[in-house]
Amino acid sequence: MVQFEDVTKVFSNGVNALRRVSLRIEPGEFVFIVGPTGTGKSTLLRLIYRDELPTSGRVTVYQRDVTRLRPRGVAQLRRRLGVVFQDGRLLPNRTAYENIVFALRVIGAPAEELRPRAMRVLALVGLGARADAMPLELSGGEQQRVSIARAIVNNPPLLLADEPTGSLDPNSSWEIIQLLSQINLQGTTVLVTTHNKTIVDILRRRVIQLAGGQVVRDQSRGLYAVEA
Amino acid sequence: MASRIRRVYAVVGRAISFAADAGTSFRRNGLMTVAAVTTIMVALLVVGTAVLLGLNLSHVAATLEAQVEVVAFLRDGLSSSALTRVQETIVAIPEVASVQFVSRADALGRLRQRLGDSAAFSDLESSNPLADSLEVRLVDPARARVVAAAISDVSGVDEVTYGAQVLDRLLALIQGVRVLAGVLTLFLSGVALVVVVNTIRLTVIARQREIEIMRLVGATRWFVQWPLLLEGVLEGTVAAGGATVVLAGLYALGAARVASALPFFPLVSVTSGVQSVAIVVAATGVIVGAAGSLIAVRRFVTS
Repeated sequence: MVQFEDVTKVFSNGVNALRRVSLRIEPGEFVFIVGPTGTGKSTLLRLIYRDELPTSGRVTVYQRDVTRLRPRGVAQLRRRLGVVFQDGRLLPNRTAYENIVFALRVIGAPAEELRPRAMRVLALVGLGARADAMPLELSGGEQQRVSIARAIVNNPPLLLADEPTGSLDPNSSWEIIQLLSQINLQGTTVLVTTHNKTIVDILRRRVIQLAGGQVVRDQSRGLYAVEA
Repeated sequence: MASRIRRVYAVVGRAISFAADAGTSFRRNGLMTVAAVTTIMVALLVVGTAVLLGLNLSHVAATLEAQVEVVAFLRDGLSSSALTRVQETIVAIPEVASVQFVSRADALGRLRQRLGDSAAFSDLESSNPLADSLEVRLVDPARARVVAAAISDVSGVDEVTYGAQVLDRLLALIQGVRVLAGVLTLFLSGVALVVVVNTIRLTVIARQREIEIMRLVGATRWFVQWPLLLEGVLEGTVAAGGATVVLAGLYALGAARVASALPFFPLVSVTSGVQSVAIVVAATGVIVGAAGSLIAVRRFVTS
């Protein structure tokens, strides 16, 4: 599903975010990417949805070398990927429902599909009753659910979540992670970057640990940190 | 069939929503948009003025050109066979279109008509000071100087005049106006372009989050850029409309003044003048608007 081969990323300001990273993620996996801030977790995700290009090495998503995609191909790739951020990235002047419809419109979904599809994903994330709420009227956890709903509205095979619980209280964090697990159980591959030790330790999923831009641990059913 | 109708429906719907987007940011960046439209309009006013001025000068030049002729004054007491010979020699010059003989009596008659009948003329009738002449029309009035020189070499011809001096000056003036207008237009278009780029940049900033999300969920480049391009074109079009109205009004007013002060001045008609101006101004406005937004999109909406 996702493959990194010897990927190095050096930003134009000289920051070396990733150093010779190689990894492989299989369909249906749930993967935590952990490590302190600034170790290249976000960069790793951004290389997958082709927001950045690797300085060297190859990133393959859905058997396609994403470094060779033309703009049209990038758009097509992103339609088959869901991305969720710490801050949700919702449009503040549109309701939860409109935020999802916006994403559908952008990719040219037929008009008669907009409402059923948007309502279906909102129900899926447990916000069917709050469709007409503005983002500011929603709690942080609810906003993040809307963001997840938007990310999965196209039924992407792969969902990327960059610190989805980073600004949430423990309860909401837990609900979000459960939602992501549930999505994973329906067959979607999920990649989550996180700092949240508790969640990683309870879920015991595959853990890829980054340090200084390198993979220092890749463990199935792992913990946040190696037991001393 | 049904799917085709649906597709048409979708395209129309999308066009409407793009136009609505462009309209929204038109309103949102109110002041900056007004500044952009005004700047483009000023540039277009200069362009339009230059077009009208150029059109009229060319028109005057064309009118004068059609009237340019070489006049060959003949030596006194030329026999009719000598006259025929002179006429034939001149007609044989390739640049000559036609030759017409004007007798000294005819010439006096014309002069009399032009200056008005006065007693002085009756005196002149007995001792006409004018000479017989040949009026020579040319195929290409620009060649007047050369033809005049050739005719003056024909024996029997006393003196040659041609009315091209005025034309030469007029042509030089037209050239000058063109260059000046070109430079001014270029400069003002450049200024307008910068302002357009900035309004589009403001829109991009105002819509940054939307654009970011569009990209994230897989919008094509065109989908993101269309409304922005449309916005610039819209600004150019509105400015062109305004400039055309102003120019049309001023030209109609000016033309009326000139017509009453100088009835025989060959002025380009208001309809055809405004028509030409509208076309040039609209094209320039749209081009400036489109180019400005294109530059802004390239610079501020990175892929």
